[in-house]
Amino acid sequence: MLIAQGFRPSRSTKVRAVLLAGLFIICLFFCSFNHGTIVSADTSTGVLPLQPIIDSAREGDLITLAPGAYSGPVRLDKRVTINGNGEAILLHTAKDEQAAVLITADSVRLENLKIQQNNDGEAAAVRVEADRVTLKGLVIHSAGYGILLREADSGVISDNTISWFIPTGEAPGTRGTGIDLYNSHGAVIRGNDIAYLRDGIYLENSRNTVVDQNKLTYLRYGVHCMYINGSKVTNNTGEYNITGAMVMGVTGVVVSGNSFRKQSRNVHSQGILLYDVRNSAIINNRVEGNRVGIYMQQSSDNKLQQNLVLRNYIGVQFENAEGNRFERNGFVANVIEAQATGSRDNEMNGNYWDAFGGLDLTGDGVSDLKYAINPFYQQLVAGNAAYQLFFQSPGMTFLSDMYTGGSAGWSTDSAPLMQLEAGTVSPDQAAGGQGTVMVAGWLLLFLSVITIIYLGVLRL
Amino acid sequence: MADILHIARRELKIGFRNPWAYSFLALFCTFSLGLLLIHVNNAVEGYTAVTGSMLSLILYLLPLMTLFLGSFSLTSEREDGSWQLLSTYPIGTLSFVLGKYTGLAAVLLTIVAFGYGLMGLLSGLLGMAFAADTYFLFLAFSAGLVLLFLTLALIIGSLSRNRWQALTISVAVWFFAVIGWPTFLIAGLGLLPYLWIKPALIVLTMLNPAELVRLFVVVKLGGGSVLGPEYYQWVEWISRPGGSLLFLGVCAAWVLLSILAVYWIWERGRSRG
Repeated sequence: MLIAQGFRPSRSTKVRAVLLAGLFIICLFFCSFNHGTIVSADTSTGVLPLQPIIDSAREGDLITLAPGAYSGPVRLDKRVTINGNGEAILLHTAKDEQAAVLITADSVRLENLKIQQNNDGEAAAVRVEADRVTLKGLVIHSAGYGILLREADSGVISDNTISWFIPTGEAPGTRGTGIDLYNSHGAVIRGNDIAYLRDGIYLENSRNTVVDQNKLTYLRYGVHCMYINGSKVTNNTGEYNITGAMVMGVTGVVVSGNSFRKQSRNVHSQGILLYDVRNSAIINNRVEGNRVGIYMQQSSDNKLQQNLVLRNYIGVQFENAEGNRFERNGFVANVIEAQATGSRDNEMNGNYWDAFGGLDLTGDGVSDLKYAINPFYQQLVAGNAAYQLFFQSPGMTFLSDMYTGGSAGWSTDSAPLMQLEAGTVSPDQAAGGQGTVMVAGWLLLFLSVITIIYLGVLRL
Repeated sequence: MADILHIARRELKIGFRNPWAYSFLALFCTFSLGLLLIHVNNAVEGYTAVTGSMLSLILYLLPLMTLFLGSFSLTSEREDGSWQLLSTYPIGTLSFVLGKYTGLAAVLLTIVAFGYGLMGLLSGLLGMAFAADTYFLFLAFSAGLVLLFLTLALIIGSLSRNRWQALTISVAVWFFAVIGWPTFLIAGLGLLPYLWIKPALIVLTMLNPAELVRLFVVVKLGGGSVLGPEYYQWVEWISRPGGSLLFLGVCAAWVLLSILAVYWIWERGRSRG
């Protein structure tokens, strides 16, 4: 009887069950939307360990960190969101730990947190081994690597600041990479500011990645990518790197709208380096004041269009580049505009070469004379690099001009433009010291005129 | 010392009454202003086509001007008989040579100063971007070129019998040092074993004032990286402030040795009548 009663739901138990179910639903609702764990850090007691806070959180929690210092390393193995509001800092001073933050769960979000990572070499500030992770607004100072993605697809890495630092009282360690992707496809890397590391953004075996609007300065390679078919490197800016963008071993990549400037200090510097690149589009980039603007080696069937090549020592350099379309690029004030060896079947058309005196008889804005790139110097230097001492020596120009043997095989622009499209290059702003030059000019002129009049005209 | 000053003053007077000086002045000004106007929209800063072409222009023109004015001044001393007259005075040969050098250097530097003064003034009036350090570097480059080639000019003037000879030798030296240099070197060094080429090239570059000064300016303009990894160390040295001192030292050695050579030639001529 008792047992039978226990099995039959009475009216009161029904009500209780409904209530419980309601509570459960409310609870779920609460958990998924508003169940924030707010931690207040007691800054007076110093650094608070972060791992226990994460351990106490549940799947899907939003952890908002109060201002203050927290200690790492931490491991994120559940789907949580951590927000530091830009005032929380995670310190990672423990030795022999590979990452300040290790993310192994999908869809983790890490936002507005400062991270200081003191280990050099392979150690990273953030290491991601899961998909769809978002890293946003982080400020990272790392003695080694910045952000590492390993087998982590569809990550979003945006608006982070990553730079190298030397922990106080320690010798400088080996610089790592700012953002380093390996076998991680479909990531979006946007609006990051990376400086003083080895490479800014390193992509290997990561297809369909978008690298957009990043600022890259004082690095070895700004963007360094290999085997990243179908990726886009767009609208990035780089200055004072050894090389702005180094793209190799790819097919079907878009490199456009980037600006790489002032990369001339190193003997291997260049704006954009393309090696073994096929079927890709290099469009609308601006390379200015580099040792070599665009260097293309062993690449074929690419489109290079509407790039602006300004004030480089060597504008573009082709080596064994074949079957590329090279159109509507502008060359202004480069010491040597172009060098090409072993590069056949490139379709050069309608570029503007400012050092070339074209002749336009038909009045269609296109020169009727062709522009041929003289390979003499490059061939000479390839034979013995010691002859680079003759770069742009007046005698060397003289010698190159005399050398016209086999000019039929030279890379030639068949229809060079007479004018650069208006508005592409703004006149240079005063470089500062314009007044000084003018005053010095006045002074020199005055002194020399006085001397000449005194000694030559008056004949005193 | 008084003798040196005396001869230098005399040289200055003669120099500025010489129409050649003014024709070179006009030539230098016309060309430099022409270049300035061609590049009116480009900044003159760092190593670019603008500074590269200015460098070439100066390398063509200034050595030629210096060689002509310098060597003619010495041969005319002999041709006009003023040296014979001077030899009867108690003036040392070294004072004579140094006085000649200082006086001619002053004339040539005034011409250079006039040209650069006009350039600086005009670039200011045209509102061109002309970086101050580039301007002063070019001024120093031109002055160095003049001072080094002047010693060569004095040697040519001492060895020539008359102006025609001086003219011929000057043009030959100019062509060899400025235009033919890479051609001769590439042809000559090609006969050497591969490993000797670079050291030989460096030594020979030190001996050619045009190349020496040009490379120094290219490195100082920040273009050293274009010389490639072969010269990485050299570029590093020259880029440092100590590099300028090293360069000045090489130039001073150049000037000193050449003046001693000139002195020896004249002293020999004087003692033998």
